[in-house]
Amino acid sequence: MSSQTTELFHDASLTPSLGAEPGDWLALLKPRVVSLVVFTGAIGLIIAPGHINPLIGAIAIFCIALGAGAAGAINMWYDRDIDAIMRRTTSRPIPAGKIEAAGALGFGVVLSVISVLLLAMATNLCAAAVLAFSIFYYAVIYTIWLKRRTPQNIVIGGGAGAFPAVIGWAAVTGNIGLLPMVLFFIVFFWTPPHFWSLSLYASTDYEKAGVPMLPVVKGARHTRWNVFVYTLILFPLALSPWFMGLTGWVYGATALVLGTVFVYYAWGVLRDRQDAKGVSLTKDQPARACFKFSILYLFLLFAACAVDRLV
Amino acid sequence: MSAVAMKPEKKDAQDRMPRVKITEAQWSDEQKTEFLRRRRARNYLLLAALGGFCLIVYVIAMVKLHEYGRMW
Repeated sequence: MSSQTTELFHDASLTPSLGAEPGDWLALLKPRVVSLVVFTGAIGLIIAPGHINPLIGAIAIFCIALGAGAAGAINMWYDRDIDAIMRRTTSRPIPAGKIEAAGALGFGVVLSVISVLLLAMATNLCAAAVLAFSIFYYAVIYTIWLKRRTPQNIVIGGGAGAFPAVIGWAAVTGNIGLLPMVLFFIVFFWTPPHFWSLSLYASTDYEKAGVPMLPVVKGARHTRWNVFVYTLILFPLALSPWFMGLTGWVYGATALVLGTVFVYYAWGVLRDRQDAKGVSLTKDQPARACFKFSILYLFLLFAACAVDRLV
Repeated sequence: MSAVAMKPEKKDAQDRMPRVKITEAQWSDEQKTEFLRRRRARNYLLLAALGGFCLIVYVIAMVKLHEYGRMW
């Protein structure tokens, strides 16, 4: 009944809003993105040398999730105009008229402050400072400054998703070590092939909204090359913790196998049957497969890192 | 038309939903019930969030004082 009512009366110009459901506020936090953040944050916590009380560890992960969600809410506040245009995002709480823009901004800012303060109280200032910077990075540097200005937006935006492992590590050790920095750069270089594989077959929305995604600005052929080149860079980078002796053979073997498969998928994206402009003639089947594998890649790579630490 | 009337509305103002008191809103009984249900749900959620916040601060204090003998 409630969803039907929402459908009927969300148009604020016709009737006063019935107000948001608790679930709408939760949706502002981008729960799917947060789930990946929780995973990488937990890995950072596990691989760090030293001991952390399990309760404090759980609170640290909660704070990382809360901070990431808060940054997502600020992102939704700023992007409300383009969210209303893109089909994928029209049902988000602000463009759907369920939550006021100012309310979403306030929600995001308050949660940001709470998450940073709680993390500082629970762990240390280093972890809290990195969390604060990661929120600033995603909300201001990526969302407000770069997303609508450069086709390389997603390369820089990749940094935002790379912070949780560093925060998890810092929560235990109180500093930033070499291994979490390498993991940071792995996520950083993983993001472009991951996201551009998706954007190859979902760029129409961005074009409509005027967001300069790489396939929109430079075309599909250029994007295919970028997917392949970034995957090639990622291959040795993912192996580097093993070469440097920061991880063991479990991680090394996993990175070798996963990297080889990822390069194979990226090669498939590059060699996909296409027209003169590089537009796929196979409904972007290789790009879809590459996107799906990229998620599995990161999950297994980080899991291997944790397993290596535990065995 | 006056100059004030011609002034374009600010973006923020367009974002804002009409503010109408529940007693003045042209709602059916079903809509009023739904509005009240949602407001109650939001209030309970806020209460739970505040309670959760207090609980987390309490847990942090207990664990740190127990393990390190100090908070900071």
